Amino acid sequence: MLLHYVTGIGILIAGGVHLFTVFLTGPYIQNLAFTGGPYSVLAVYRNMLLAITLELLLIFVDYHALNGIRIILIEFHQGTSWERGVSWVLIVTGILLLVYGTRTILIANALA
Amino acid sequence: MEPLTTELKRALFGWFYPYKYNLERWAYALQRISGLAVAGYFLAHIVETGNVVGGLDVWSIPSRGVAGDVWAATFRFLDNPLFDVGLVVIGFMLVYHTVNGVRLTLTEFGLLQGRPARPDFPYEPKSFTKAQRALFWISMLLAAGTAIYALNIFFGV
Repeated sequence: MLLHYVTGIGILIAGGVHLFTVFLTGPYIQNLAFTGGPYSVLAVYRNMLLAITLELLLIFVDYHALNGIRIILIEFHQGTSWERGVSWVLIVTGILLLVYGTRTILIANALA
Repeated sequence: MEPLTTELKRALFGWFYPYKYNLERWAYALQRISGLAVAGYFLAHIVETGNVVGGLDVWSIPSRGVAGDVWAATFRFLDNPLFDVGLVVIGFMLVYHTVNGVRLTLTEFGLLQGRPARPDFPYEPKSFTKAQRALFWISMLLAAGTAIYALNIFFGV
């Protein structure tokens, strides 16, 4: 459970940076365009510091969201096989999401 | 023993049947509901941002033109009042979950809990102190503020 609180605080910081770059650095329409501004989509991924922040945010949210669902499900019902099944399904889902999100960040960072 | 699906259904609907809930129980139900809502947004956001580099079937570096076209098409698809309303709700849920989450983190580490006391009529939870109540209402205010900010962005109220 400690990790749930730690990742929560991590999301507060990394998510704050993420929302700041989208909404508070200029017109958000420009920031959501593919290219053209200092904080438009591709520029954010190509900025190494912001890309690392995004990867950290991805890891934190991935863990926090799926562990949250796990907490809900094992609060609803208890039992060894239920808890084991829930955990494994969510671990696999979490890894798939992490791989897909990391792929986005790596390719977008390298996109010429 | 009732069947598993019945038990799960009963547990889930308990959140939406807050009969005689106190404020802390409301905060709990809303924390669960908002958590699921934001987790759903996270899933959609991973899929959405995957289109920045061309979508699900691209696993090598595409040209900037191809990726840009896919992103532009994604953006046109998302430019829909239904999604805008969804984002207003997500904004509310996200900020509520964040600030109430800070309150729960303080609780986890025993802060703002008050002194232990004998439970007396009308059995108000002693641990739900004034500071905790204030944090709950601050989370509501900030969440409402975010929803208004989002409404202004999307619909210019």
